[in-house]
Amino acid sequence: MKALAALLDGIVLGLQYGLLGVGLTLIFGLAGVVNLAHGQIAVLGAIIVALLMGAGWAVIPAAVVGVVAAGVFLLFLDLTLMRAVYREHGEHRILLGLLLMLGISFVIDGFLNWRYPIESLTIRIGGDPVPILGVNMRTGSLLATAITIGAGAALLVFFQYTTLGRGVRSVIQDEQGARLVGINPSSVRSFVFFLSGSLAGLVAVTGAMTAPQASSFGIRLTTLALIVAVVGGLGSVAGAFLAGILLGIIDRFASAYIGQFYTTVILLLCAAAMIVVRPSGLLGKRT
Amino acid sequence: VNVVDEYLGNTSENVTSGRAVGLIRAYLPIVVAAALIALIPLRYQDSRSMMSVITVGVLFACYAVAFNIIFGSTGQLFLCSGALAGIGGYGSAILADRSGWPVPLALVTSTVVAALVAGTLSWIAVRRALDTIFIGIVTIAFALSFENLVLGKGDWTGGESGLRVSTGSDSWLTGQIAPYYVFLGLLVVYLVVFRALQRSRIGWAFRALRDDGLAAELSGVDVSRYRILAGTLGGAMLGLAGGLYVFSESRASPSTFAFGNVDVSVLVMLAFGGIGSLLGPVVGAAAITWLDEFLDAVGYAQIKEMIYGAVMVVLFLGFRRGVVPMVTDLFKRKPK
Repeated sequence: MKALAALLDGIVLGLQYGLLGVGLTLIFGLAGVVNLAHGQIAVLGAIIVALLMGAGWAVIPAAVVGVVAAGVFLLFLDLTLMRAVYREHGEHRILLGLLLMLGISFVIDGFLNWRYPIESLTIRIGGDPVPILGVNMRTGSLLATAITIGAGAALLVFFQYTTLGRGVRSVIQDEQGARLVGINPSSVRSFVFFLSGSLAGLVAVTGAMTAPQASSFGIRLTTLALIVAVVGGLGSVAGAFLAGILLGIIDRFASAYIGQFYTTVILLLCAAAMIVVRPSGLLGKRT
Repeated sequence: VNVVDEYLGNTSENVTSGRAVGLIRAYLPIVVAAALIALIPLRYQDSRSMMSVITVGVLFACYAVAFNIIFGSTGQLFLCSGALAGIGGYGSAILADRSGWPVPLALVTSTVVAALVAGTLSWIAVRRALDTIFIGIVTIAFALSFENLVLGKGDWTGGESGLRVSTGSDSWLTGQIAPYYVFLGLLVVYLVVFRALQRSRIGWAFRALRDDGLAAELSGVDVSRYRILAGTLGGAMLGLAGGLYVFSESRASPSTFAFGNVDVSVLVMLAFGGIGSLLGPVVGAAAITWLDEFLDAVGYAQIKEMIYGAVMVVLFLGFRRGVVPMVTDLFKRKPK
C-alpha cells in the first residue's frame, strides 16, 4: 500500500519534474546555454500569479498572465544578454552562458527575497480525494497531472507534426543544415526561449495546486531541472520526460523509505552517476 | 608570467644576475601585496566586527587562489570550493572535538581528505573526458549533496545551527588580530606556491593545456596528470583554509561553506581580479570585501544578492579579462 502510494505520487511528481527538465533541456540543446535561472524564472511566474490573485484576479487569467510573463522574461534575455553568448564558440560559449545565467538567478532570487520574502503561491482546488487503485489522490494533484500530461502531449504533437516544431528539432540536430533549408535559427531560438520560460511558469502554477510555491524555491527547482535534464540527456525532450518520471518515483520512494534529507542527495547522485557512466543521458544523442 | 619570461630573455648576457632579477620580479608582487595587506589592521584593529570582516576577506583570497589553480590554470570548472573547504572545516572540527584528536593532526587529516576528494573528482573528469559543463554539473551536484548531508546529519554536524568547536578555542588561532595574520601567512604561502608552479615545468604544462588541451596532449604533455595534480593541490588548499577558519571562529556552520556563499563569491572575485593571474584573486577579494562592507554601510544589505548577480553579469559580459591582466598590460606596453 505504501509502495503503491509512493509509486502514484512519484508519477504525479515525476511528470512535473519532466516538464521542468524539458524547459532546461530545450534551451541547452538549441543555444548551448545551461539555464541556471530556470527555477527562479518559474518562481517569478508563480509570484506574479500570487500577486494578481491577491489583487482580486480569478485563477485562470492570473495563471495565464504569470505563465506568459515567465516566457516573456526569458525571451527578453534571449534578445539582450544572450546575444553576447551566441557570438562565442565552443567551451567559451557554454561557460559564458552558464555564468551569465548564474548571475541572473542571483538577481531574481535577490529581488524576490527583497520584495516578496514571504510571498507564496497556493492554488486551492476543491473536491474530495479520488480513490485510484485504492490510494486516495487529492483533486489538486490529479488536475496538476492532467494539465502536465496535456502540456506534454501538446509538446509531442508540436515537435512531431508542426512545421515550427520540426524546425526546432532540426536546429537542435544541425544548425547549419537547418539554415540551408531555410530555417532562421535565431527566431527559432527566440521562440524556444519563450516556450521554455512559459513551461517553467506552468510547472510553478501546477506545482501550486499540490503545495505552496514559496519565493525562495528557485534554487531547488533549478537543481531539479538540471538533474532531470542531465539524466534524460541534455537536449532530449523525450529523455527529460522519461527521466522526470523515473526521478519522481525515486524521489517518493526515497522519501518514504529512507528519509527526506537524503532524497535530494540521492537525486543528485543519480545525475552525477549518469554523467560519469553515460554523459549523453538516457535518450541523448551520443557525441 | 610573460613579463617574467621577457625579462629573463633580456638579461641573457648575465645569466646569474638575470636569474636573480627574475626571481625578484617573480616574487616581488607577493611581498608588496603582503606588506600592504599586513597594514590594513592598523586602521581596523579596535573594531571586532571589522577585523572579522577583513579576516574573512583574506580567507576568501586564499579560497580564490586555490580555485585559480584548479580553474584558472587547468580550466576545470570546480563549483565545489565551498564543499571542499567544508570537508576541511567540518572534518577537522569533528575529529578534534568529538574524537579528541590534536588540532594539527585533525587539520592535516581533513586537508588530506579534501585533497583526495578533489583529486578523485578531477580523476573522474579526466578519465571520462568530461567537458567543462559536465565537470561543472558533477561538482555542483557534489557541492549540493555535501550541503544536504551537513544539514541532514545533524547529530554529527549540528545541522542548521552548526557545530561549536571548543578544542583550540584558547590557542593563538583565536582572538581579534591573530587570525588575520594567520590567514595572511596562509595567503602568502598559497601565492608563493602558485608562482612557483607557474615558473616550473608544471606551470608551462598548465598554460599549454589551458590554451589547447588537445595540442598539449599531442606535444607530449601528460594532460591527465597535470589536471589531477591541480585538482588535488587546489582541494588541499581549500580544505586547509576551511579547517583553519573553523578553529579561528570556534564554530562550523553550514552557511560558512554554502555554495551560494563561497563559490559564487570566489567566481566573482576571480572574474574581477583576472582569471589565471597571480594577484587577481587578491585584488578581487579586496574589491568584493570592500563592496560588501560598503553596501552594508549605505543600507543596501537587503539587495546585496541582487547587486552581486548584476555585478557577475556585467563582469562576465564586458570585463572578462579582469583588473590585474589589464594593469599588467599597461606596464608591459611602456618599455616597448
